[in-house]
Amino acid sequence: MYFVSFILKNLTRRPIRTALTVLGLSVAVGSMIALLGISHNVEATVAEGFERRGVDIVVMQGGVADQLSSELDEKLVERVARIEGVDPHGVDVALIQLVEIQSNKGADSKNVITIGWPASNFGFDDLEVRTGRRVQEGDVRKVMIGSTVATNLKKGVGDTIWLQTEPFEVVGTFESFSVFENGAVVMLLHESQELNPLRKGSITGFSLRVKKSLEHPDADVDAVRQRILDLKDEKTGKAIRLSAQTTKEYVKNASHVQILKAMSWMVSVIAIVIGVISMLDTMIMSVLERTQEIGILRAVGWPRSRVVKMVLVEAVILSMAAAAIGSLGAIGLTYVLTLFPQVNGFIESGIAPIVILQGFGFTVLIGIVGAVYPAVRAALLLPTEAIRHD
Amino acid sequence: MTDGRPEDYLLFAEKLVKTYPDGDVHALNGVSLGVKPAEYVAITGPSGCGKSTLLNLLGALDRPDQGEVYFRGEPLSKRADIDHFRARQIGFIFQSFFLLPSLTARENVQVPMYEGPVRSVKERVKKADELLDLVGMLKRANHRPMKLSVGERQRVAIARALANDPALLLADEPTGNLDSANAVHVMDLLTSFQKSRNLALLIVTHSPEIAEMANRIVKMKDGQVVDNRVNSLPG
Repeated sequence: MYFVSFILKNLTRRPIRTALTVLGLSVAVGSMIALLGISHNVEATVAEGFERRGVDIVVMQGGVADQLSSELDEKLVERVARIEGVDPHGVDVALIQLVEIQSNKGADSKNVITIGWPASNFGFDDLEVRTGRRVQEGDVRKVMIGSTVATNLKKGVGDTIWLQTEPFEVVGTFESFSVFENGAVVMLLHESQELNPLRKGSITGFSLRVKKSLEHPDADVDAVRQRILDLKDEKTGKAIRLSAQTTKEYVKNASHVQILKAMSWMVSVIAIVIGVISMLDTMIMSVLERTQEIGILRAVGWPRSRVVKMVLVEAVILSMAAAAIGSLGAIGLTYVLTLFPQVNGFIESGIAPIVILQGFGFTVLIGIVGAVYPAVRAALLLPTEAIRHD
Repeated sequence: MTDGRPEDYLLFAEKLVKTYPDGDVHALNGVSLGVKPAEYVAITGPSGCGKSTLLNLLGALDRPDQGEVYFRGEPLSKRADIDHFRARQIGFIFQSFFLLPSLTARENVQVPMYEGPVRSVKERVKKADELLDLVGMLKRANHRPMKLSVGERQRVAIARALANDPALLLADEPTGNLDSANAVHVMDLLTSFQKSRNLALLIVTHSPEIAEMANRIVKMKDGQVVDNRVNSLPG
């Protein structure tokens, strides 16, 4: 009989308790993995978006709490395009807004992200047109809608949607690698600006590519970033409050990513604490119930270290089972969540393998931490006391 | 028989004192005792006289408050590997058998082997089967304790006690829970192993018949040895 077989028998002799422990732990772990997975997906999607488009620097208004509040004069773009080291064909502006959308005139309003791009924006190249066509120069009151919006609103090519109570014709539906874009309405920049009178002539920000040398690409990016930050207002001569971040920094500092990550970790910490307590409870009960047996094991010569190992390995096995079930549950949960129109434009189904690995790591840690006290308690039992327990 | 030096005995207890924290009464009060290799010693006395306490101290399951236990002349209190010593040198047999309920007979016999000389899983199974065969339990090897009669359980417990080929068997009322037929069977097994394997056998018993089978009979009362005599007509 292998040692691990001995341990498995300890677990399987009380199948209901083992199953309930695994179930309880897997709920905690599953929640943790699902939240961390969602936050990881959001971060990865944003990062992938920039990476695929070869973006080096993201420029926005400095000092704003979130990206949607950023407001820059679109004329600034021309000045930036002339800066030494900037690829003049690689500057792309966008106006991203949260606006009201109605599927029919007078219907209930919902919020949707609109993305306003000039017709030449290279972002269009990443949109896979599913039906219809992309918006183009000269279009008036025409939009493309992401696949999620199309599904949620049950709209297609030729249909009309209302943005800020104004009608727009859907000329195309698209699928993007970005979950945000799939949940967005894409339109020409100037039409997007007209949705909000306060945003006329303004943009949320712009991304740009840097002409980099092979020898020191990072230094080239840093140099361009500094030149952007040194830009002065042409009228007042004062510094313009800008935020110019590399894409990595942008993703790291993006407020929605940060908030999501913070919330995910907060809930995860709660889940971890619940998991530790659950494991502690189960293992302490298990040890107390087996006081006599542990005494027998000590009597026949098992050293304390083997008793500790027995309890810890039991906990690790329980944890691994919980992590496996929790991971499957988390994958299922994210999939189910994407079926809800309220969230399916914001999250992506599936969990990255790295997050599942992290989840396994945390769960094993939970198991070990929760089992340390019971294991030590078991090891400290004197054989005679344990046998007298009879 | 406590004359001589500790080196002269397999197991030697010197002036053992043990007091339990829940009372002022000495469970053992200056007990000395020697057991020679391959000797069969019976310890008798009324309930509460300290027999089981003495057995626990001799088997290194507990430590004396005063005094010393020597094994082959070496004091146990100086040993750092007391668990290893217990696993390799001593086999325990208890009145309540103390088999692990989730394991089969074959698996129960293997439990001490994790700390014994037999290493591979295959060897452990082979050894367990040999021992079960010796106690007539091979056919019941795959049964859990709940499916075995009390006599069968004690036979499995004997096989477990022999798992690491110990030099000393300590049995605490091994027939206490058995009917007379099973008690005779178990005692036959123990005495035959004691002889065939040159084991020292120390039995705590209330039974005069079992005590009379021993080479030496030690009588205890109130935590002290009151008689320690060679049995001239064992069996």
